[in-house]
Amino acid sequence: MNTAPDTFLYDGSFDGLLTAVAYAVKSQAPVAGVYAEHHYMPTLVAGIRQIKTEREQAQRLFSYLNSLGRMPARLAFNGYLSEDKESANYIHGLVRECLRLGKSAADYFASEPIRNLKGLDKKVSFEAHRLNGLIRFRILKDGLQYAPIEPDHNVISYCANHFIKRLANRRWILHDIARDLALFWDCNTLQPVSVADDFTSFVAENGEVPPEEMAEQELHYQQLWNSFHAAISNPARENHKLQRQLMPKRYWKYLVEVG
Amino acid sequence: MKLSEKLTILADAAKYDASCASSGSSRSNTLDGIGNAAQSGICHSWSADGRCISLLKVLMSNDCLFDCSYCLSRRSNTLPRATFTPEELADLTINFYLRNYIEGLFLSSAVYGSVNRTMADLVAVCRLLRTRHKFNGYIHLKVIPGADQELVRQAGFLVDRLSVNIELPSESSLKLLAPQKTRKAILAPMSQIGEEYAGYRQEKKKSGKAPTYCPGGQATQMIVGASKESDYQILNLTEHLYRRMSLKRVYFSAYIAVNEAPILPAVASLPPLIREHRLYQADWLLRFYRFHASEILSETSPNLDMRLDPKAGWALRNYDLFPLDINRASYEELLRVPGLGMISAQRIVATRRVAPIREEDLKKIGLVMKRAKHFISINGRFLGDRTMSHGQLAAAMYKAETPASKKVLQNSRQLRLFKN
Repeated sequence: MNTAPDTFLYDGSFDGLLTAVAYAVKSQAPVAGVYAEHHYMPTLVAGIRQIKTEREQAQRLFSYLNSLGRMPARLAFNGYLSEDKESANYIHGLVRECLRLGKSAADYFASEPIRNLKGLDKKVSFEAHRLNGLIRFRILKDGLQYAPIEPDHNVISYCANHFIKRLANRRWILHDIARDLALFWDCNTLQPVSVADDFTSFVAENGEVPPEEMAEQELHYQQLWNSFHAAISNPARENHKLQRQLMPKRYWKYLVEVG
Repeated sequence: MKLSEKLTILADAAKYDASCASSGSSRSNTLDGIGNAAQSGICHSWSADGRCISLLKVLMSNDCLFDCSYCLSRRSNTLPRATFTPEELADLTINFYLRNYIEGLFLSSAVYGSVNRTMADLVAVCRLLRTRHKFNGYIHLKVIPGADQELVRQAGFLVDRLSVNIELPSESSLKLLAPQKTRKAILAPMSQIGEEYAGYRQEKKKSGKAPTYCPGGQATQMIVGASKESDYQILNLTEHLYRRMSLKRVYFSAYIAVNEAPILPAVASLPPLIREHRLYQADWLLRFYRFHASEILSETSPNLDMRLDPKAGWALRNYDLFPLDINRASYEELLRVPGLGMISAQRIVATRRVAPIREEDLKKIGLVMKRAKHFISINGRFLGDRTMSHGQLAAAMYKAETPASKKVLQNSRQLRLFKN
């Protein structure tokens, strides 16, 4: 029997991750780690196991995590969305703690993988929350609203959920420029769309949509927002360091009021 | 006058309002409507002073009939005046909201025409937003003291939060600095809102069809440092407002000297930022840490220590209650340990349910031991230094202030250097 530690690789999808974790948990041999293929440099060392995604296997594991309350499944999913290269590894640790401790595992802060996942969960949900405020829609000529984003973590679906509730009767597109993911809400359903390359690259370069695409009043309201933003600040308490700390510069590119 | 000029004047005049919170109300969107309110509140931007912007915070007008000596918009000051029409303001709110610049509207006003005329216009803005624009986002409205009861009631059905500003912490200060305002005119709408809020909440519990009245509750603001009240008086008033008038928030606003007057701090004087910060810390102790005002301050020591957060101050005065054992102390007791917040206390309680906490787990749980170590033991072992005298302990606590407090201390020192 092979007792060299095994490394489990998956295709980068969430189902793939769960499948690989499931195989790692069942493995007889010691587990060296679980990684996405694109995060892992294949070496000639023995014990690499390429795991093919099995949707059924993945769903079984996910519903097991779900059966333990909201937290374990949430930790796994947000760990995945964080795109941290150790996240699958931590999720493996989480599943093992769940098997050992049952429902209370998610509260077990003394466990390292759970603590790490809690950290990632916090980063992901915090970034989604922060973006819900920092997203800026541009209104285009035909009334379609368009917002470019470049988040650290893959949080576009959380943001889309927020705006489905908020701008239900408006047509809008959320566009993650770096991952080139775009979601379109047509007042009924949310679906992925592709955005024209020249439009995307203009937005990426200028932090703004092409002027000929904008609605007539768009620049007017952008300027009004700028005046408000400047006027509401109290010069006696100016504190740019604090401003940058709370609204990091990496988000400024698509904000109307700074830059 | 152009809209952008009005906006600049009326946002500038509103910047002394401390509140910009959009939390505490959850209003869902309707099928054909725009917007909803998030229970947790959402910040949409941060201004150059580092404060968050979540609401379009403006005055309806700065053209004031009153002449309160602490206020920039008072009648006797010469400055550009402007007044929005209700349509302009509703349009601005909707267009900012659609672009996701803001979470809603925070509307206040100087008194123009008459108290009731002003209040009626404010209510008109809210009505336009709710009915014509089908807006379901957050609205916080400042009630004009002395306004007709019926107008206040109508406002309650339209907005998420109402506030009546207390302005100054005592009747005598009001008389001195804002002679056209009276304690009675301020407290009457406050208790009206309190009663109606409680009443409609009861109704709502019985039947979902009952109208929603001011679901985010009531808030107020008072100016700190323009008049002579002690922190003890301020904190007692605050506690009274929370416990007896069931207010949701009390905001403190460090007085910024904008007018020259013999009864006020000089214009060159600095806003008491540290005092404001310590009051907010004490307020936090009242709202979340189950403290009473009388535990934090007393007649004999009526002012907060500017160098120390009020919880650390309390713990030093009550040192005989410590050390508390991490594995035995109740949640309420843990909350009283300096350096432990609600999150750490919750984590301790949750982790304990799985297994007793060991010393090496403390850091893993995420506890910052810098201040807590002087007040806790774990499985019988005291984590602080037994040989420390009370004075040394106090010095260590001064040194171990939180980064946020240190920043306020440092910034106000820089301001002082700069101005003198």
